[in-house]
Amino acid sequence: MGMIDPYEVLETNNMIERENLDVRTVTMGISLMDCCDPDLDALNMKIYDKIVSTARNLIPVAEEISLEYGIPIVNKRVSITPIGIVGASACRSPEDFVTIAHTLEKAAQKIGINFIGGYSALVAKGMTRSDRMLIDSIPEALGSTERVCASVGVATTKIGINMDAVRLMGDIIKKTAQRTADRDSIGCTKLVVFCNPPDDNPFMAGAFHGVTETDAVINVGVSGPGVVKTAVSRVRDGDFETLCETIKKTSFKVTRVGQLVAKEASRRLGVPFGIVDLSLAPTPAVGDSIAEILQEMGLEMVGAPGTTAALAILNDQVKKGGIMASSYVGGLSGAFIPVSEDSSMAEAVTAGALTLEKLEAMTCVCSVGLDMIAVPGNTAPETLAGIIADEMAIGMINQKTTAVRIIPVIGKDIGDRAEFGGLLGASPIMPVNRFSCGGFVNRGGRIPAPIHSFKN
Amino acid sequence: MNRTIVTLVGKDMVGIIAKVCTYFAENNINILDIAQTTVQDFINMMMIVDTSKTDKSFSQMTEELDKIGDKICCTIKAQHEEIFNMMHRV
Repeated sequence: MGMIDPYEVLETNNMIERENLDVRTVTMGISLMDCCDPDLDALNMKIYDKIVSTARNLIPVAEEISLEYGIPIVNKRVSITPIGIVGASACRSPEDFVTIAHTLEKAAQKIGINFIGGYSALVAKGMTRSDRMLIDSIPEALGSTERVCASVGVATTKIGINMDAVRLMGDIIKKTAQRTADRDSIGCTKLVVFCNPPDDNPFMAGAFHGVTETDAVINVGVSGPGVVKTAVSRVRDGDFETLCETIKKTSFKVTRVGQLVAKEASRRLGVPFGIVDLSLAPTPAVGDSIAEILQEMGLEMVGAPGTTAALAILNDQVKKGGIMASSYVGGLSGAFIPVSEDSSMAEAVTAGALTLEKLEAMTCVCSVGLDMIAVPGNTAPETLAGIIADEMAIGMINQKTTAVRIIPVIGKDIGDRAEFGGLLGASPIMPVNRFSCGGFVNRGGRIPAPIHSFKN
Repeated sequence: MNRTIVTLVGKDMVGIIAKVCTYFAENNINILDIAQTTVQDFINMMMIVDTSKTDKSFSQMTEELDKIGDKICCTIKAQHEEIFNMMHRV
């Protein structure tokens, strides 16, 4: 291997210092299957002990790696086995489940992480009694904790869409919004509804440790919207071939850093390396935006005609560059298009360039879905369910992950602004189509799996 | 061998490299390569050093380099070589 060139060193350090290159998250997945116990107190104690003992070195090790390689690691997090499964042996009521949420909060606090994901249920085909109680407990669980993240898988390509669960989630989102009405309904920022959820997603709020996973695993999410934006700005006059090659090469470099950090974290923690997630994840910081990349590609504002095509290019080239840079790629691996977490996306909404319908179209070509969207607080639960159903259908038919994280901000309407703070950002309230879908979403039952899922 | 890349950026003045090299000598850190460019008044230096024989931990070393950097009005950064190899070599 040749000596490192000073220009290469300069390039890497410019990416870190000026273009926000970082590792977005090191997430430790922890199985709680061995915590199951018919006694609720014993279950809670086992869950606490398992998380704290397995992840106690997560933050010190991540900080050590960050120092030694000179690369910021923004978030350190934990994902766990869906609590709908873990709690089934002991929980007899939604209130019983809430005690587990409080245990997760305490464990997260103890190890010093800001989010723990996996207060989840997977109900694409049907809900067990336990799953139903967990879902019913979500408003109180998210209302009385800060770090716990919940997700509900209501559809897959192989199974179809559980419309009873979709309709129920309309109510649950509304109740969660009401329960946290004093803080711009912030509870809903930690609640994701999924189609085709991956078992190894390191990104919150939708992370959980799937039942196909081993005892503990390290998954890493790379970042780099700022780096990609700067690279794209250098080829403003280039044709599509030049544009695509530029994104691909940049993505390779960004992902290599993620691979390095993932392998090191795995080695130092004595926990197997799972995957690197290639998703470009924005933050509200200026220059750390997906919208700005799309605008750099030639759009006046994100949402203008051409936006879906531009996003399709970005997502595909990021994958093509990233795949070769990591030995195992997984999770969501696409571009995230959250509104409140991406200040230029929120700006495009304010300017009238970006609508809910355009965002829905964009979710057809990227991960993950309608994300961090603030809507009027008086939006009907049936309408929320209709929005979820549309997004689940896109995921199911296109054999991809889609998700909905929508916030009906209680007490606010079009023209107002929701402030969630920190990485969750801020967003104008977006208009929602005012015609009813009640007759459709209230039918009850399931939407069958699509024809192309029958491959056996 | 434990190769670390040390970069120094700042306003040029007499004795900058001497200060950094003295620190390495005192702590049994061997300098393998030095590259340096000066544009107008600004110095941009990169060193490759071997830290396998020093008693200092990596965090001690970066803290002490920070202190030296403050004294000579430069930013000194130390990073394991691996991050550059990963990013720039297939």
